[in-house]
This record gives sequence, structure tokens and C-alpha cells, in this order.
Amino acid sequence: MRCDFCGTVFTEAEARPACTGCPLAGVCKKRKCPRCGYEVLPEPKWVKALKAWGGSIFAGYKANR
Amino acid sequence: MSASQAEVVTYPEPIEKALAQITTLLKGSYGLSPRTVALLLLQDDPEMHDLVKEREGSTYQTIAAIIDRTRETLREPVDEAVPVARQQKIAAIAAAAVTETAPAGAALADRISRLMMNPWTGTPLLLLVLYFGLYKFVGGFGAGTVVDFLESTVFDAHVNPWVNRLVDTYVPWAAIRELLAHDYGIITLGLRYAVAIVLPLVGAFFFVFAIIEDSGYLPRLAMLIDRVFKMIGLSGRAVIPMTLGFGCDTMATLVSRILETRRERIIATLLLALAIPCSAQLGVILALLAGRPAAVLVWAGVIALVFLFVGWLAAQILPDERPTFYMEVPPLRLPRLTNVLIKTYTRMRMYFLEILPLFVLASVLIWLGEMTGLFAALVQAVAPVVRAIGLPDQAAVAFLFGFFRRDYGAAGLYDLYTAGQFDGVQLVVATVTLTLFVPCIAQFIVAIKERGARVAFGMFLFVLVFAFGTGYILNAVLRLLGVSL
Ligand SMILES: [Zn+2]
Ligand SMILES: [Zn+2]
Repeated sequence: MRCDFCGTVFTEAEARPACTGCPLAGVCKKRKCPRCGYEVLPEPKWVKALKAWGGSIFAGYKANR
Repeated sequence: MSASQAEVVTYPEPIEKALAQITTLLKGSYGLSPRTVALLLLQDDPEMHDLVKEREGSTYQTIAAIIDRTRETLREPVDEAVPVARQQKIAAIAAAAVTETAPAGAALADRISRLMMNPWTGTPLLLLVLYFGLYKFVGGFGAGTVVDFLESTVFDAHVNPWVNRLVDTYVPWAAIRELLAHDYGIITLGLRYAVAIVLPLVGAFFFVFAIIEDSGYLPRLAMLIDRVFKMIGLSGRAVIPMTLGFGCDTMATLVSRILETRRERIIATLLLALAIPCSAQLGVILALLAGRPAAVLVWAGVIALVFLFVGWLAAQILPDERPTFYMEVPPLRLPRLTNVLIKTYTRMRMYFLEILPLFVLASVLIWLGEMTGLFAALVQAVAPVVRAIGLPDQAAVAFLFGFFRRDYGAAGLYDLYTAGQFDGVQLVVATVTLTLFVPCIAQFIVAIKERGARVAFGMFLFVLVFAFGTGYILNAVLRLLGVSL
């Protein structure tokens, strides 16, 4: 993921969850940029799945050529 | 030229002098050049300070004295001077080494980027963004078109009468009928507020916000606003909690941890509680004021004035610790529609999951209050205050809602407005007061956890008195001037 504030690129594992101690932490899946602290939205699961699916089709297409 | 010597960055004179003095004093070996060690010391690197204290013994005191003196003679903070000097050196090296054949787009983006950060061109640009993004899109399209359709066509004309009839026919107990339907019912009020008023407005706001976010405008806004923020004891970094505050002030109160100094954190928490509306509140306020440009100007002007005045006042009272801020801005880019849509969807989904149970809970609490008569008593108690700022008694209900959840209160205000309860002046007074009004319960609890009960409670009282005080003065002034908005 990429921070929308400072442009740092980081993985979901590198970032802390945005709101530990926040009463709404259950619904909120935001991550905190390790560099500036801005909250970044994670990609929804279905988008990830869609991308993986698209990627595998693309890879298969390349392998076939 | 010999690389290592010629390409050393030259820092402002006081820093260079200090570097020369410190490097001659350093005797220990650190695996780094003495100049680097000295630079780290000047930038207050805690590990390096510990190391030097350990290895240089009594010389450390002399070094610390040099650092203190440098800080006094230098006009800007070391943390700012060092990266700026490096940046300049990098630009110079790049200019000498690279012949630019950048595509025309990059040069244009660079020029726009600079215009955004220059105060003279950046301020009008910011106003344009606010005008089209918030006023036109959220207030005009979101409220005028989407909310209007959902409210009057979907809920008022179909859902509510249908639910009322259904409940009246099949539910024999009056109490349960009131819980589900009619004036304060879970479906007719809670769900309607969430689905027909708050969600579309928030969605429109999230859409605009995603465009702003994806384009890389935010860091430029931080640079633009840094100068103003320095006057109120904050720095451009405070743009982070402030913009997140539009998402929810609760979150932003937590985020204000990332600010450097305690002073900055207190000022930011106070301003967040007072003058930064959450996205739902902002959406509803824009919806309320949509057709009245003069009213929007008065509202925005009062809030901006309060923001700057309270910030300035707090900065005067709290002991001076100057924050530093410098950042390298990532490149500007054209927002991608897929990114924007995914972000809007994700935020709306999170928001909806968060508010729906709370709105239902609010309906249940109000229902309980109605049954026990407590609600009427509370409204009675708040009514004189509401009357004092020139609003009809019914507005007391909206303010009570507002303490539970800001967005719920704002939706309540919207309800009164569509029922034709307000004239222009009352609308402005109500929106200003509700914007400034108490942080909602969630934010209050977080503030207690983060800043301690005493600070939190003090802030709460201050905000309460301040909000209604401002409403009172504003109402008096507007009535005295005889303006109609
Ligand atoms: Zn959160
Ligand atoms: Zn960041």
C-alpha cells in the first residue's frame, strides 16, 4: 500500500493498525503509515481477489505465448 | 573533482561553525565520520547523545553547550535547516548532471505543484477546491439531488407510511409501535437518518476526499498551511489529524499522538473538538446551507475565525515549544477513477457499519427516554439555552442528539430544516453552534484516555460554554444588523 500523505510505499505487515484503543476498532481496518502516521485504507478483500484473479489470467496468457 | 570532498553539503554558517568545533572535540571512534556524528548530535539524535556521553566523558558538557548556543543563533530549527540544505544540494547536483528531457506532463505537474504551495496562488486554489468539491458537489449534488430523492421520495412517501401502517396493523402494544415506527422509531428515524441523510452526504464527501487524497494534494496543503499553523502553535504536520478529523474526530484525537510536542497535541485536540466538524456533520451543514451562499460564507468565516483565535490563544497560554516541519512532497498525479471509487466504497462501508448500530441504539435510548419522561425533561432543561440563541424549542432535541453522536444531531437539525422550522439567521446560528458544540461521547471518552480526565473535562466545559456563547453573540449581531441570510 502507498501512503496518500507522504508517498511511502509499505506492506500491510509493516504498518500498525490505525486505532488501537479506539472504540470503533472493530469495523475500522485502517493502517498507519510507518513514516508519517497518516491513516491508509486497506484494499477490500474482493479487490485483492479480483487483482489476483486478473494477475493469474495475465500470467497464463503470457505463459501460453 | 574528488567526489567525497567536493560534494559535501554546506549548511548555514552557525551549523558549519558548530560542526567544526564539535569535530575537533570528538576523540572516540564511532564508525562514522566525525562530521556525521556532530550532525546527529546537532539534530538531537538520542542514541548518539548517549554514545558520546559515554565515550567522551567530560567533553560532552562542552559539546552540549556548543549545541545550545547554535540553536540560539540559528533562526530556524536544526531539523528544518539540515534537510533544506541537503535538498538544495541535491537539486544543484541534479541540475548539473542531468539534462532534462522530462515529458511535458511532468513539467506541468511540477508547476502546478509549486502553485499549490505558494501562499499567493495556493490560497485561491484551495478555495476553488473547497467551492467545487464541498459546496457544489457535496452541498449541491449530494444534498440537493441524492438526499432529496431518498428523503422525500423513498422514505417520506413510501417507506415511512408503509412501516407505520404495517406496525399499526400488526403490533398490538403502543410502546413497541413507538419503538419501531412513528416519530422516533428505529426504522422511521434511526434507519432514515443513516440511509437517507447521513450516508449519501458522507459518500459524496468521501468521493471528493478520495480525489484529493489520490492526487497528492494533501502534503502540498500541509506545506501551504504550515505558516498559518505556526502562528497557532502547530505545524503543517497537524494537517494529518485535522484532515483525518473529517473522517471522525475520535480517530483524529488518537492520531494527534504523532505530533511532536505536548503543546501541539493539546492545541490540536482542542481545535479538533471545537472547530473541525466530522464528515457527516460537515455534509449535513453543507446540505442545510446549500442554497444560501451568504449563509455559507458567514458559517465558514465564523468557524475559521474561531479556529484561528482559539488556536492563537492556546498558543499564548501554553509554554513555547516550537514544532518543526519539513517534508519532501511525493509527485502530483492525476487521480485514478478505480482508486477513487474503491476508497469511497471502503470508507462508506466502514462508516455505515459503524453508525448503523449506534443510530439504532440512539433510537432505543430516545424511546426509553420518551417512555420514562426523561427525554421530555432533558429537552425542557436545554430549551432555555436554545431559546437564548434565538432558536425554536424543537432545536433542543437536535442538540441532545448531537451529544450522543455529532452526525445524529446534524441529521436531526436537517429534519427540522426540511419541516420549515428555521429562517436563514437561525440556520446559520444553529449550524455554527452545532459545529462548535460538544464533542460526542466517543470523542470525550478517547480524550479522557489520551489526555487525562482533568484536561478532557476542562476542554469539554470550555467547548460547551464557547459553542453556545458564540451562537448567542452571532445571533445578537446578525439580528442587530438586521441581515437576512
Ligand atoms: Zn479507526
Ligand atoms: Zn505517510
